[in-house]
Amino acid sequence: MEEKIWFSKQIFLKMSEAYGLDPRDPHMEELYAYLQNVLPGLKVLEKLDVADVEPRVPLHPVQEESL
Amino acid sequence: MNPVEICYLGVGELSRLIQRKEVSPVEIVEAHMARITSLEPKLNSFITLLSDQALADAREAEKEILENRYLGPLHGIPFGLKDLFYVKGVRNTSGMKIFDRFVPDFDSTVGLRLKRAGAVLMGKLNLHPLAYGATGENPDYGNMHNPWNLGLITGGSSGGSGSAVASGQCTLSMGTDTGGSIRIPSALCGIVGLKPTYGRVSRYGLAPLAWSLDHPGPMARTVEDCALLMNATAGFDPRDPTSVNVSTPDFTKALTGKVRGLRAGVPKEYFEVPIDPAVKKKVLKAIDHLRELGVSVSEVSWPMYRHSVAAANTIQIVEAAAYHSKLIRTHGSSLDPTIRLRLESGFFIPAVDYIQAQRVRTLFADQTLSLFKKVDLLVGPTLPVTAFKIGTTEKEVAGNVVNIIPLLTQYTRSFNLNGFPAITLPCGFSEDSLPIGLQIAGRPFDEATVLRAAHAYEQSTEWHRRRPPL
Repeated sequence: MEEKIWFSKQIFLKMSEAYGLDPRDPHMEELYAYLQNVLPGLKVLEKLDVADVEPRVPLHPVQEESL
Repeated sequence: MNPVEICYLGVGELSRLIQRKEVSPVEIVEAHMARITSLEPKLNSFITLLSDQALADAREAEKEILENRYLGPLHGIPFGLKDLFYVKGVRNTSGMKIFDRFVPDFDSTVGLRLKRAGAVLMGKLNLHPLAYGATGENPDYGNMHNPWNLGLITGGSSGGSGSAVASGQCTLSMGTDTGGSIRIPSALCGIVGLKPTYGRVSRYGLAPLAWSLDHPGPMARTVEDCALLMNATAGFDPRDPTSVNVSTPDFTKALTGKVRGLRAGVPKEYFEVPIDPAVKKKVLKAIDHLRELGVSVSEVSWPMYRHSVAAANTIQIVEAAAYHSKLIRTHGSSLDPTIRLRLESGFFIPAVDYIQAQRVRTLFADQTLSLFKKVDLLVGPTLPVTAFKIGTTEKEVAGNVVNIIPLLTQYTRSFNLNGFPAITLPCGFSEDSLPIGLQIAGRPFDEATVLRAAHAYEQSTEWHRRRPPL
């Protein structure tokens, strides 16, 4: 399978094991294929210019005073 | 009064009848129980029915009212809770058999506030497992079915809430919305659903999906009923670290019918993504109707909208994987295969990408706030399609074949990312009699203006009076 993501199949299996998943599970083939479909779509964010932009504190709601 | 008629009355009408002692809470609850018994084999809206407890609560409400201890408009009104809101002593499944025996020993703030308002809990409502899906399909407890056509999806994840309210099994329900899970089933089932501002309604006692995107909110058949639910459930809660200590208005006071002078923006980007032409036509007609009511409508540009979905997806996938990491490791093979893949994928997104998504979130929220200097509301479709067959995974829309998850969330997810309030309400029906939703969004903590505009539109149209052919 052509790799569309930044890690190879071998690295994927190593990472899976490190995360507590079973790399011998046949399901891993399906997961790897799924990642090939999903992850590239999220990488579009890398192209955005976020210089000087701080991350939103995840649990800090937008306040009306900031308008 | 005919019991089915009782089941389709709004809170305003029911509470007037209760106060005049023309109908008792027991009669109301019994009418809804009969409706549930007759429709549940077709709809599958509930996971846990609380018939005995509901009748006992209705008797208690009746006694209190006869003793002049009336608690307000929700006293004696039947409601349902999505099976993610903890209720002390009642199992909470989150839509999965694995949690069949989990019985919380405390109440969610939403559940407690509704109990204190005297509302009667009919049961816990079905949902897409773990609230991680937009269709309302559930392999563990059975699929939810759309009251307008039983072979079609309700939408999700709060699908049982959508079908129960649309069919008259409950007057009110509370759902949750992480990427559209209140607004999607509300639109597909032809009811009103409000995702409030992040921090407005407490998340305490709610099983999370993605902490920074989860919003509890009301689902009902009218805007007024949503406003009444907001009155009962909104407000600061020190037990929720994300709850915001801002004043809570009486939301019903916003329902003045006056919208002249309000400025609404229609993002041009909404029509650069796949949308069924028939849905587009109805939504544009609804926007014209708002213009006729006196709203000043203009096209606006919201360039970051295009990137908001990727940012929200990144955040949701990572936060869901973090919350459910133990479940993935210990019960992975028992999970629905699609949900398992979504959850596991979160392990493979680097922290750098998560932070990048949060930086994009800042840009997106700032750009949306700038837009709200020029307009008071953003309006557009809630969904690009009407309900479709259960089991569908891809759909052709305007010549594009699209996976149904991004399709169903393309207009809703942005408001989970920025946390701004957004409502859906019926704005028409397709040729095959399926409901279409109009989405109206507003400034943070300005649900009042959103409700005002939605109410004015609703009251000048007849869409909310249609009933599903059950």
